[in-house]
Amino acid sequence: MADSIYSICNLGILDTLSENSIHEIVESYEGFCAANETLLNGAGDLSVGPQLVSNAHSLCKHGLESLLRDHFLGALEKTFEKNGALKFWRHFEDVSIGEEVFYNALEEISLEKQYQEKCLLMLVHALQTYNQRGSHDSDAISVELFAKYQLSVSSVLMATLPRKFPEILNWYFKGRLEELSTIMAGDRPPRDDEDEDDDRDDMELDEKWKVSYRSGQMEIDECYPQGRFFDNSKLVNNIGRVVHDLRSLGFTSMTEDAYASAIFLFLKAKVHDLAGDDYRISVLESIKGWIQAVPLQFLHALLAYLGDSISYESASSGLKSPLAKCPASFYPGIDTPSEGLVRWQLRLEYFAYETLQDLRIAKLFEIIVDYPDSSPAIEDLKQCLEYTGQHSKLVESFISALQYRLLTAGASTNDILHQYVSTIKALRTIDPAGVFLEAVGEPIRDYLRGRKDTIKCIVTMLTDGTGANPNVSGNTGDSLLEELNRDEESQENIAPEDDFHTDDKQAWINASRWEPDPVEADPLKGSRNRRKVDILGMIVGIIGSQDQLVNEYRVMLAEKLLNKSDYDIDSEIRTLELLKIHFGENSMQKCEIMLNDLIGSKRTNTNIKATIAQPSHTDAGSELGDNRVSMDIIDATIISSNFWPPIQEESLIVPGPIDQLLSDYAKRFNEIKTPRKLLWKKNLGTVKLELQFEDREMQFMVAPVHAAIIMQFQDQKSWTSKDLAAAIGVPIDILNRRINFWISKGILSESLGEDTDNHMFTLMEGMIDTGKNTANDGNCEDLIVGDEEGESSVASVEDQLRKEMTVYEKFILGMLTNFGSMALDRIHNTLKMFCIADPTYDKTLQQLQSFLSGLVSEEKLELRDGMYFLKK
Amino acid sequence: MAPNRAYCPIFVHCSELQGFGLGFAVAREEDESQDLAWHSVASWTWDAQDETCGICRMAFDGCCPDCKLPGDDCPLIWGSCNHAFHLHCILKWVNSQTSQAHCPMCRREWQFKG
Ligand SMILES: [Zn+2]
Ligand SMILES: [Zn+2]
Ligand SMILES: [Zn+2]
Repeated sequence: MADSIYSICNLGILDTLSENSIHEIVESYEGFCAANETLLNGAGDLSVGPQLVSNAHSLCKHGLESLLRDHFLGALEKTFEKNGALKFWRHFEDVSIGEEVFYNALEEISLEKQYQEKCLLMLVHALQTYNQRGSHDSDAISVELFAKYQLSVSSVLMATLPRKFPEILNWYFKGRLEELSTIMAGDRPPRDDEDEDDDRDDMELDEKWKVSYRSGQMEIDECYPQGRFFDNSKLVNNIGRVVHDLRSLGFTSMTEDAYASAIFLFLKAKVHDLAGDDYRISVLESIKGWIQAVPLQFLHALLAYLGDSISYESASSGLKSPLAKCPASFYPGIDTPSEGLVRWQLRLEYFAYETLQDLRIAKLFEIIVDYPDSSPAIEDLKQCLEYTGQHSKLVESFISALQYRLLTAGASTNDILHQYVSTIKALRTIDPAGVFLEAVGEPIRDYLRGRKDTIKCIVTMLTDGTGANPNVSGNTGDSLLEELNRDEESQENIAPEDDFHTDDKQAWINASRWEPDPVEADPLKGSRNRRKVDILGMIVGIIGSQDQLVNEYRVMLAEKLLNKSDYDIDSEIRTLELLKIHFGENSMQKCEIMLNDLIGSKRTNTNIKATIAQPSHTDAGSELGDNRVSMDIIDATIISSNFWPPIQEESLIVPGPIDQLLSDYAKRFNEIKTPRKLLWKKNLGTVKLELQFEDREMQFMVAPVHAAIIMQFQDQKSWTSKDLAAAIGVPIDILNRRINFWISKGILSESLGEDTDNHMFTLMEGMIDTGKNTANDGNCEDLIVGDEEGESSVASVEDQLRKEMTVYEKFILGMLTNFGSMALDRIHNTLKMFCIADPTYDKTLQQLQSFLSGLVSEEKLELRDGMYFLKK
Repeated sequence: MAPNRAYCPIFVHCSELQGFGLGFAVAREEDESQDLAWHSVASWTWDAQDETCGICRMAFDGCCPDCKLPGDDCPLIWGSCNHAFHLHCILKWVNSQTSQAHCPMCRREWQFKG
């Protein structure tokens, strides 16, 4: 403590001073102060320089160097505050200031500061010349004094800083960037008056800073060979000067913040502007181009102007940006970017990528709806995500969009499926390993599993070319399977059954209430890493088992084949070939036999009709009056029923002549194919018939039962439902349902007889209401196809399942009686455990669920919070 | 021209058609297309007493284990004892016997029914 006081106030010196010395000191000090005063306020009068120097030397001699230094710096600071800072801030007092005001203010304060620096240089010179006699390091004095001066300038400015100054800086840089952007867009030549300003400024500039700057660094104009760059370099020169001035005033970080935030805000606006709502074009390239053209040019010029040293090594080695694929051509006119510029570039790119990514993720649902038209947007998003690595953002955002927009009662199963497929197709571009896809697909799969028509829709989507994907224009008529196959042919083939244990996996997932980890880390999914996304696998994954899908397909195929009026099965054969590729030949064996039956039927049919002995007209044709009926009108599809799904057989008495023809046909078959024989399923098939009225004819394609009904009216124009039902051999309720077809077509009318159970049907006479049928009026040529109204020839998979599951019903009811309530997976596991024989429980969880929901709708069970109860 | 006749009577009185409200004309001379075409469905079955083959236990209307397609490709054959088998099954059986083959069902000497 005492030491320090001693060292600061070396009072001992005072004792040694002589009168003379004191006088000299006082004189020198006064002289120094006067010279100082004149110098600082003398408006550029440097003539007092020698006086200042000699007085300074004299004071130094007396060891008062620090005194004069402090005095000089103090004076500088006071003067700067008065002539510099306060004047400077006065320029910004107006609410709105122009660019000119800003430049003038900066120029003024910079000139002031520059002048003061000259003054300071004089003092430095004085001290240096004095110290050359001593041993002081003269450079150190200069550095120290200029540092102190710089500090005082900064602190004066900071102490008096108006609060809105950062805003003004921001405003300034924003305005310049916009100007630069407009110039780069090339649609506006630079203003003439600006050119004049620039010329003037350039001249002044050279003069102004000749002292402190090496001239070479300012020649950035040379960097821009093109006219446009020359224009904008003038603009950038202005900005550079501003930044330089601001830096020298100590606003380094404030300035950097201001232009950085201006650049980022501008970049953000530009990305929003370029991105828009059009997903059919890639915008990344234009964003990249813009970054190069505007902010990077701006920054390059700025950094070059400010003397940011060009580091040749670091730019070419370490920092590699994905944007800078070919750095040479990347910066127009710039040979090697400086390290600072590369760093800026990386920051800007990251920001642009992240901004675009966020925009696209927010609209991902719409983008996927538009897929594949929107694939440019997907490609952009992919690149963004590769750079930012923020895939989890996508997953979270997209799942919530799905839940809100798609997985609602209002969306049709078809729509959901198509969106699911589009999602897979779109996301596998972004995520070839399918890791994120797994997480995104899970909610859709879960939701679809709860819908009854899911399997049917999936099979239709896979196999039916008509409108399989409404979003694909130009590709209509291709089933999804066809499309997948095309995709696959262009890539390398993978084994279709490659570790494909969806069933087991599904059971396990449900049993352990497994929830997918939202991101990367799941080991189960890690195994897929090296495989490409298997779209079909992900679709089958919804159902849980391939067998179920194949089974459903078989039922739909049977329905289609049994309703054919010809033997044209080209598209079915193609579909089967594709299914065989994906599911294996063995799975498709039964379907193959079904198609083979059609091929065989065609051959046999021709053979029988060619070789049958035509019955005489009097035998077969008599019952249809004058109309001759020959074997020509009969065709048959002969099926190997063991390989077809269960067929719905209903009794039907077909018109006599037809029946006769069918027996003849069967007889001939038996002759040709002994010892095989035919068993007719008379309710199945299709009948094309033409109704002839006096002035018109109408053609229909109907089920045999419809034909049998209407043909009864040929001889008798009115029938009671009882009589008619007896005549065609169907139960009365079925008749009442089926006859609606003819009533709806306006061919028959229904009236209530005396007996309410016994309706009267009459062939329509006279005019018909111009109601619902007007559309068909007079269209004699058109074939009116009988709508099946849900009547099907084949038992649905659901019906089959119910039949097979009924044996377990007692068991399930018993379990629930004992346990009170059980969850689906527990019932499933218990059945698996106990029903190991006679019959073995071999159903999937989905099948069980479907059966249980049947029991719920029959009000045998209740489902609350995922638990099944006995209905009390 | 047809759709323009929205107000024309569509159906005439049946009596004017001399009692026939409907006609199912077939093969009119000027028009080859049929006005009635009945496409029916039938299943075929082997006319055998049993349902399954006594050798492979598969349905006769299916096919033997070696075949993929039923029917003509995997026919049945009857022995003189009137037992039927898949042709392929009984041939295998007969070929596997060192001496005279017997019917697997009735043990009578196997003879193809003539
Ligand atoms: Zn056999
Ligand atoms: Zn065989
Ligand atoms: Zn025998």
